[in-house]
Amino acid sequence: MRALIADCREMMAEQVEYRELLRQMIVRDLLLRYKQTIMGFGWAVFMPLLNTAIFSVIFTSIAPVQTPVPYPVFAYCGLWIWNFFASALRFSVVSLTTNANLVSKIYFPREIFPFSSILVCLVDFAVGSIVLVALMVWYHVPVGLSLVWLPVIVTVQIVFTAAIALLLSMANLFYRDVKYLFEVVIAVWMFAAPVVYPVERLGGTLGTLVRINPMTPIIEAYRGAILLNSAPPPTFAAAAAGAFALFAIAWVVFHRLEFQFAESI
Amino acid sequence: MAPVVFDNVSKKFRRGERHNSLRDLVPAAARRIFRKRPAADTLRDKEFWALRNVSFEVEAGQAIGIIGANGAGKSTTLKVLTKILRPTSGRCAVRGRIGALIEVAAGFHPELTGRENVYLQGAIMGMKRAEIAQRFDEIVEFAGVAESIDTPIKRYSSGMNARLGFSIAAHLRPDVLIIDEVLSVGDITFQQKCFDRMLEFKQQGIAIVLVSHNLQAVGMLCEHAIYLANTVKAMGPTTEILEAYVRDAQKVPESADSAVKIKTVSLSTPAGTVGSHAEIAPRTPMTMRIVARSTRPIDDVTFRFMIHRSTDQLLVFDGQVHRRELGSVAEFDGEFTLEFRFGAYLVAGHYYMSLWVFHNPTRQALMGPQQLATLAITESQSRKGIVDVDFSAALETRVEESEVAR
Repeated sequence: MRALIADCREMMAEQVEYRELLRQMIVRDLLLRYKQTIMGFGWAVFMPLLNTAIFSVIFTSIAPVQTPVPYPVFAYCGLWIWNFFASALRFSVVSLTTNANLVSKIYFPREIFPFSSILVCLVDFAVGSIVLVALMVWYHVPVGLSLVWLPVIVTVQIVFTAAIALLLSMANLFYRDVKYLFEVVIAVWMFAAPVVYPVERLGGTLGTLVRINPMTPIIEAYRGAILLNSAPPPTFAAAAAGAFALFAIAWVVFHRLEFQFAESI
Repeated sequence: MAPVVFDNVSKKFRRGERHNSLRDLVPAAARRIFRKRPAADTLRDKEFWALRNVSFEVEAGQAIGIIGANGAGKSTTLKVLTKILRPTSGRCAVRGRIGALIEVAAGFHPELTGRENVYLQGAIMGMKRAEIAQRFDEIVEFAGVAESIDTPIKRYSSGMNARLGFSIAAHLRPDVLIIDEVLSVGDITFQQKCFDRMLEFKQQGIAIVLVSHNLQAVGMLCEHAIYLANTVKAMGPTTEILEAYVRDAQKVPESADSAVKIKTVSLSTPAGTVGSHAEIAPRTPMTMRIVARSTRPIDDVTFRFMIHRSTDQLLVFDGQVHRRELGSVAEFDGEFTLEFRFGAYLVAGHYYMSLWVFHNPTRQALMGPQQLATLAITESQSRKGIVDVDFSAALETRVEESEVAR
């Protein structure tokens, strides 16, 4: 127990000491994106928009579904959240292995890599919100007081993403197949969450999967706060508690295995 | 407590490939987390000790040099010092901010400009933004890349790249400085600048650990050195340690087919015999007598006599003598005596002499290079360099006539 407290203290102290590095890593990735791609941040908007268009065709013309707000707003909101989650993980999974050069040569808290990957995607997430606002204005979706929940919900999503990012980036360092496995899982996972269709009345195996999926209450909380002017569902509290607990465990495990990274990479 | 304490550190590595299957993940991770590792002190299959019970301390303002052959554990020591590796057993404590002049350009991204990279690399080394901003001009000026600081560094020459990296590290103001071969960076002017910077650091009371194959650099910067061969083979004043290291490095295993074998070597000055580890004054006339046996006829052979400076292996003298130049060409096999005469026109320092014997028609070495003896030249005056040119000085002042008249 005493060792655990010492570890936590060290973890915090390191984050404070290296906060400038976290900043610089984010700046680096953003600068690189801006320099190397023509569209720059446009990509942050383009992918969810394209998906929204595709799913709008499917779920309004081919297999219509009932949504509380116009379908494009509903779908874009879901895809915008999911895109943040999935791309943050996609970048974090390989964040240690693509920076092998630094990991094996210079010491600093390695958590910086997955953390900065997530925060870079948070910038994209912020950029993507502009389109959401535009869609809401276009479809006359009003915003209510429940929007005050938004910072809480974003925080919970970041913490949950960070927990998984820590575990996956570390796993990919020791076992490189994790990267491929991740792509499969994340593709399937999206359909077990209320991203592009409402899931209230979903039954069967998929229904069960959706209900135990921690991303379900998070996405529903977002939609409630932004589109429907309602407080997060009770399941959101459980998801939040779970996210923080998982994050604490993941970080301690990461910190304790950290010293092996340089040898294993 | 000294700024750097390396207390009985051992580090174990495993040879060969690791088989990382996902099946092993869970048990392995569980073991790692709960620290139920197998006894640290034993070696399992394919394991070896990169460091074994290595202890040393570095005081503030002290520079210590670590030398040793490839694979002697030097890099491992540095990685343990910089916290990249954790020792298998023992303890490594470094107090204060560690500045590592290792891989000074590792964090550089080719697409970013010099300016952006300075901030990035500075942060990687643990500098605060304000600190970097404050020293930015100094860093750029020291590196001499002011004109291209807003160019992506993929357009930099490798020298510019390394200079910029070094310059950032050199402006870190660390408490402990760890250096790995950085003096090989850039051209001669820049190297000199680096070296001066090191000395400056030392005078500021920073503890320095230098790993280098450049023995001359170790000799100039460090008063103490460690000769590492996975364990501490010798530790003490630099000159002694360098000599011990060079002596070992020079030891060529006598091959079985070496046709010539040396029996005795004796060194003498006009004052008498001085043994094979002589301590003499500069410009002393020396005579070296070598008694050797040969299993093959010594007819068409060349003797090659060399003097090297121990501290950096600098070849000071290389003289070749053909057998026929030595008079009597009567056939001899069996025992022979060879005599070399030379003047030790060398400045204070440590030197060693060695001999090769070549068979001319086949270009085969019948022996060597074999170390014969060492010379320690001692001198009270301050003479640096290599050759003692029998230097003296005189000063004449002209006295004004009017002053004489007065």
